[in-house]
Amino acid sequence: MTGPTPLALKVVPPRPNEDRRAVLRELYVKYGGSVRERCRYLLKDASRAEDAMQDVFARALVHGDSFRAEASPLTWLMKIATHHCLNQLRSEGAAWRKWFARDEAARSEGHGGAEAMETRDLVRKLLARVDAETQAAAIHYHVDGMTLEEVAAALGRSVPTVRKRLEHFAELGGEELSVR
Amino acid sequence: MSAHESSWTLRRLHAGELPAPEANRVRGHAEACDACGATLRSFADAQAAFEAEVPFEKFEAGVERARARQASTESRTQARWVRPLMAVAASVVVVLVLARPLLETGGRTDPLQPPVAGNRLKGGAGAELRIGGGVDPQRVASTDAPEALQPGERVRLGYTADAYRYVAALSVDAQGEVTPLYPESGDSLAVEPGVGQHWLPESVEFTGAGAERVVLVLTDAPVSMDALGDAARKAFTAAGRDVTRMAPLDVPGAQTQWVLLKP
Repeated sequence: MTGPTPLALKVVPPRPNEDRRAVLRELYVKYGGSVRERCRYLLKDASRAEDAMQDVFARALVHGDSFRAEASPLTWLMKIATHHCLNQLRSEGAAWRKWFARDEAARSEGHGGAEAMETRDLVRKLLARVDAETQAAAIHYHVDGMTLEEVAAALGRSVPTVRKRLEHFAELGGEELSVR
Repeated sequence: MSAHESSWTLRRLHAGELPAPEANRVRGHAEACDACGATLRSFADAQAAFEAEVPFEKFEAGVERARARQASTESRTQARWVRPLMAVAASVVVVLVLARPLLETGGRTDPLQPPVAGNRLKGGAGAELRIGGGVDPQRVASTDAPEALQPGERVRLGYTADAYRYVAALSVDAQGEVTPLYPESGDSLAVEPGVGQHWLPESVEFTGAGAERVVLVLTDAPVSMDALGDAARKAFTAAGRDVTRMAPLDVPGAQTQWVLLKP
């Protein structure tokens, strides 16, 4: 018999108490559908989207104090969900190409009428051509329907900076993506 | 100015985040406006579909798994930063960790030698939970009585598969919360090739306090961690919610259980 060699540490933290369960249930009822929808929109795969959604809510629990202090938990969650999914796509390396291939399969995930669907699809198609911050700004502005001020607050940038990024994004997509 | 409310404003209304005066105004508009009313209803529909497809218990279990995964990743990241600073001390630890098992087996390295104070299962199969990393000497946990952990102590899980082909491990705490350990999700792991004892990767630290039951299962066919978790929860309930009195899980294969008392 040989003994174990020292390897990395796996920590099993204390499990949820009833307070945490209540917090999680509230998050589930208020935001579950929205966060899952965001993950599906970006990842285009129901199973991966569910994993990503769980990661987002796990972070909300870990950052409980700062999360509860947010004026808009919805903004926090959607920002984290967007960031997490975009990171995941980037970490897949050449996955942007595969991501486009999944586009057709994901068309039924959206809602809000034909025009909104077209805008969402157009935004998604153009994401691979811009940097990470512009990606997030475009999603919050065109898909979430945030105002410039709300996007700027969510990303911690000035309104002129966000406008500049969105105008650059609009140059790729035409009139439909103009910034008002 | 748009005649419609933005979809973000409607989504915040749906989530109950708008201040009362604004919520009343937006709700009033949505009731009179077909487009905004439809958008608002679509959020309610999406939430209803979500709740129908993902019951809260499944959602909660998934979030807890994600939490455990994130905690594990953060620990590994921290360990990588600490390692260069601890290089000298680590060399001493390596000697202790590697030398101790040889001492405990009388210096033999016979792969078929049964584990000391471990647990023999069917045929030559067996399992072992080894405790170390604290002030006390490294030791093998008994399966006959609860084993007290000292602060900072960690455990490694080993198994001798014999004819079994898959291995999995989980733990249950005093509240009945189940944590999948190996693997953290999906189906049980294929056993390592070769005879003799194999060690599951990483050492495990159980934080918090109270009793923790660790269960290692060897099976002939893969078993999903969800099914194992369900079996553990049933066993916990059947034991009157006393983790120290749980019976073996109702799953095929052979299993070994240990009760650890966290400091």
